[in-house]
Amino acid sequence: MRAMFAIAWKDFRSLVSSPIFFVISGLFCCLLSFTYIRQIFDFARRSMVLAHQGQGVNIHMSVFASHLSLVNLILLLAIPVFTMRALAEEKKMRTYDLLLTSPITATQISFGKFLAVFMSGMVLLLIAAIYPLGTALFADFSWGPLISSFIGLALLMGIYIAIGLFASSVTSSVILAAFLGMVLILSFWFIGQGAGFSDDPVLSAFFEHVSVGQQFVSFLQGTLKLTAVVYMLSAIALFVFLTQRVVESSRWR
Amino acid sequence: MIEVKNLTKNYGDRKAIDTLSFKVSKGEVVGFLGPNGAGKSTTMKIITGYMAPTSGSVEVDGLDVFEDPVEVKRKIGYLPEIPPVYGDMRVIDFLKFCSRLKGVPGKTMNSAVASAIEKTSLQDVQKRMIQNLSKGYKQRVGLAQALIGDPEILILDEPTVGLDPTQVVEMRKLISSLRGNHTIILSTHILPEVQANCDRIIIINNGSIVASETLADLAQSQSGTCRIGVQVARDVEKAKSKVSLVEGVKHILINGMRLDIEMSHSSEGIEAVATQIVESGSGLLEFRIESSNLEEIFIKLTSEKETSMGGVQ
Ligand SMILES: Nc1ncnc2c1ncn2[C@@H]1O[C@H](COP(=O)(O)OP(=O)(O)OP(=O)(O)O)[C@@H](O)[C@H]1O
Ligand SMILES: [Mg+2]
Repeated sequence: MRAMFAIAWKDFRSLVSSPIFFVISGLFCCLLSFTYIRQIFDFARRSMVLAHQGQGVNIHMSVFASHLSLVNLILLLAIPVFTMRALAEEKKMRTYDLLLTSPITATQISFGKFLAVFMSGMVLLLIAAIYPLGTALFADFSWGPLISSFIGLALLMGIYIAIGLFASSVTSSVILAAFLGMVLILSFWFIGQGAGFSDDPVLSAFFEHVSVGQQFVSFLQGTLKLTAVVYMLSAIALFVFLTQRVVESSRWR
Repeated sequence: MIEVKNLTKNYGDRKAIDTLSFKVSKGEVVGFLGPNGAGKSTTMKIITGYMAPTSGSVEVDGLDVFEDPVEVKRKIGYLPEIPPVYGDMRVIDFLKFCSRLKGVPGKTMNSAVASAIEKTSLQDVQKRMIQNLSKGYKQRVGLAQALIGDPEILILDEPTVGLDPTQVVEMRKLISSLRGNHTIILSTHILPEVQANCDRIIIINNGSIVASETLADLAQSQSGTCRIGVQVARDVEKAKSKVSLVEGVKHILINGMRLDIEMSHSSEGIEAVATQIVESGSGLLEFRIESSNLEEIFIKLTSEKETSMGGVQ
C-alpha cells in the first residue's frame, strides 16, 4: 500500500509541477470563464423574460449541464496528455527497471499510476466546481443534481484515465501514448452512438446501456443510479486491469 | 544463496544466453566478465526478476524468482546498466521514494537514506535536481538506490562506468566493506577491478560460461600452458614444421614473420623449441615467453570460443 501511494504521490507531484499541466489548466480556466459568464448572463436575461410570463427556469439544466458537458469535452482531450507519460516515459528513461525490480506488484504500479493522474484530474474538477459554487453566492438552487453530476464527471474522468493509462502501457513513445489514448477514449464514447442507427429494439437498448454518454446523462439529470455507478466503476476496473496485465507481461518479453 | 540452473534466454530467434548454470554462496563477491554482448546484463536482469528466462530457473535463498518475485526482490539491490533515476526529482527525494518502494519502515527511512548518501559520497548534491547532475553523479545516485535498505544481495551492472578515479577507488573500498555481510555480483570489462574486488570470476562468452573459478585457480589452471612469441628472419614455414615436432607443443600460429607457439609449460620443452628454431636456420631474431596474466586468460578464453563458433557473433 505504501509503495502504491509513494508512486501516486511522486507522479502527482511531477505532473502538477510540469509546464504542460500549467498550460492545460490555464487554458481550461480561460475557456470555462468565458463560456460560463456568457451562459449566466444569457440565463439571467431569459429567466427575466420567462418570469414575466409566470414561468420558472431551471439553472441546473440550462447552465450547469452545459458547463459540465464542456468540462467533459476538455477532459476528453486533456486526460490523454496527463496519462501519456505515466508508463511510456518510465520505459523510455529506463526507470521502469526500478519499478519492475522493486518488491511491488504490477497491480500496485497500475493503481499508483491511476491515483496520480486521478488526483491531478481532481485539480481540474475543483477548478470547474468553483463556477457553480460562485453562483451559489447570489442564486438559490438545489444541490442534489449538481453533486450527482460531479460524481458522474469524476467517474467518467476515471474511465478516461484508465484508458489513457492502458494506452501508455503498450508503447514507449509518449506522443503515441497520447494519440492512442485519445483515439481509444473517443471510440469509447462512440460505442453508444450505434443506438441511433439500429432498428432492432433489443440492439438499440443494448447500445444505450453500454453507451457511456447515456450513463453520464443520468448523472447530469441528478438521478444517481446504482447501475450507472457500477457501469463506470467496472469500466475503470477493466482498463486498470488491462494495464496491470501489460505491466505484468513486460517480464515475459 | 543464488542458484542459477540451465538458464536460456532468446530474444526472438537470437540466443542471448544458453543453458547457463552457476551458484553463488552467501557472502561471496563474484565478478561477471565477458566481451560486449556476451549476455552479462541479460543474466543479471533475469536474476533480479526483471524479466523471465526462456527456460531454466533461478533460486535466491531457496525461493524461486518467478514464484515469489516480491520476496526475492526484497532481498536484492540492483543497479542496471543505465541508472534508473528520475530527472525531475531531487536526489534526497528520489532516495526517499526508493526506500518507500522497497518497503523500508518509515521510522528508519531517514537513516537508511542518509547511510546510502554517505556510502556513495552524495552529500554535496543531495538537494540538487538529478537531471542537472553529471553522468558520474547519476551513476552514484543509481548505486545509492541499490544500497537502500541494506539488501542481502547486490547486483551491480558495470558499477564503475563513468566514475572518476577517486570514485573508482571509493567503489572498491565500498565493495570490500560490504564483503562478508552481502553477496555481490558485479559485471565489468575492467580486469583490475575483478582482481581487486572479487573472490571468484565467471567469464561469459556468447551466452555460455567459459570459466568459473577463483582467481588463484584460474591462474593455476592456465599456468600449465605457456605462450612463446618467436620472430624469425626467413623461412617461417620451415621453423614451424621443426617446432611442431617438439613434444608438448599444442598450437602454432603464423603471423607474418612471427610464430605464436602454445605449449605445455616445461623448461625442457622451451629449450627444445629454441634448439629447433636455431637448427632450422631461419634466423632467430626474438624469443619471448609470455606470462599468463588475467587479461591474457580473458582474451584467450573468449577468443577461443569465438573461433570455435565460426568467428561470428
Ligand atoms: N532487448 C533486446 N532485444 C533483442 N536483443 C537483445 C536485447 N537485449 C540484449 N539483446 C542481445 O542479447 C545479447 C546479450 O546482451 P547483454 O546486454 O546481456 O550483453 P552484455 O554482456 O551485458 O554486454 P555489454 O558488455 O555490452 O554490456 C546481445 O547479443 C544483445 O544484442
Ligand atoms: Mg551489459
